[in-house]
Amino acid sequence: MKDLIKDTIGKIKKEHILPEPKWKYLVRKYGIWFLFGLVVVFGAISFAAASYLLSSLDWDLYRFMQQNRAGYLLSIFPYFWVALIAAFIIGAFFDIRKTETGYRFSLLKISLITIGSILILGAIMFFAGLGGRFNSMMASGVPYYGQHMMVTKELQWSSPEKGFLSGEIVAVFDDKLEIKDLKEKNWNIQLDEETLIRPMANISKGQMIKIIGTQLGSDDFRAIEIRPWVGGGMMGGSGINSGQRNGTNSGRGMMRGN
Amino acid sequence: MEKDFAQTDADLIELSKKDPEMFGLLMERYQGPLFHYIRRMTQLGSDDVQDLLQEVFIKIYQKLNEYDEVLKFSSWAYRIAHNHIIDYFRKTNARPQTNSLEDYEWEKIISASIRIEKDVMNKDCVEKVKICIEELPLKYKEVLILRFVQDLEYEEIMDVLKKPKGSVATLIARGKEMLIRKMKEKNINCF
Repeated sequence: MKDLIKDTIGKIKKEHILPEPKWKYLVRKYGIWFLFGLVVVFGAISFAAASYLLSSLDWDLYRFMQQNRAGYLLSIFPYFWVALIAAFIIGAFFDIRKTETGYRFSLLKISLITIGSILILGAIMFFAGLGGRFNSMMASGVPYYGQHMMVTKELQWSSPEKGFLSGEIVAVFDDKLEIKDLKEKNWNIQLDEETLIRPMANISKGQMIKIIGTQLGSDDFRAIEIRPWVGGGMMGGSGINSGQRNGTNSGRGMMRGN
Repeated sequence: MEKDFAQTDADLIELSKKDPEMFGLLMERYQGPLFHYIRRMTQLGSDDVQDLLQEVFIKIYQKLNEYDEVLKFSSWAYRIAHNHIIDYFRKTNARPQTNSLEDYEWEKIISASIRIEKDVMNKDCVEKVKICIEELPLKYKEVLILRFVQDLEYEEIMDVLKKPKGSVATLIARGKEMLIRKMKEKNINCF
């Protein structure tokens, strides 16, 4: 056994074998943590984008679509972003396991660290308004994103044949509006006494609105309900509820006839 | 060499980085356990085991700057040896065996697995059980050797294999179960 020690030290000296420099090890070590940070950031971006999508969609439209609530929720669920979040969580999990002592963390601990960091950072990004920006970037930069990969607010409200239309008000008349939709097409929107205008909806030129109704012709649309572009338009209204469709006033909007 | 016991492994590592001679003191501390571990895992003769051990020590020396004190040096050294053995099996396409174990080493595994007293062991029976252990997949044989022959704690085996404690416990439990199943299949019932 003594020979082994002498031989080994002799070989180390003869072949000028040296310990590898510490920086190489540190680059590897911190590289893995950097990768973890990157995966968490991407996961957080996905979470912020998914949250933005879900918060910008109207959750009550199933009532106008002859669809039940569960079916509607499944149809608007942001599968793309959720799949990305799941992929990033799995990536972060394996990345932590790759660290020098990552195997010592329990499954629960790693899950809490990865999911927790993605959710917290994602929530911060969402409230900072980054979720919307990521969605816009994806919609303009990634082909098919807005049309096929995701139910976006824009897609949801660009379906006149299904009864959902949106656009910028170009002109306001007594019994009709003229709007330019998101595809730059002009529409005549017919209003009548049954049309419900949500409290926050500002019916004036230049305003973006969402309209629920019926397509009458290639550029004619009858409005049943008008909402502001952002949100459902219920806050701060004059107080009229769904009963008002029949002419009563209690919290959901204002009939044009009132 | 007497004064080396006053120095911790971490001290010797720092000294070895500057002077390879000091690395000899570390080698002296760990060459015994690592030699037996490699022998038990590879079934090679003494000279070949020494060659592998030398390669392991040179790797340890090259990686001295990687050593992190959150691990015991022994666990870290076993880890390097474990990886080197796996590489060796890959390169040589050799099938790992365990029949180079000494009788007392077999008895340790057998008694730990089937809960019997050593002095009740019958030599013929031990021979039969050896065959069953040899048939176990490497990962189960290795944990049984690390746990019951090398006498490593669960935490140390975790650090050697880079596996969570639960996985180590599962490997050990499954290894034992497999051994008992194989013994039943072969109608070994001599204890």
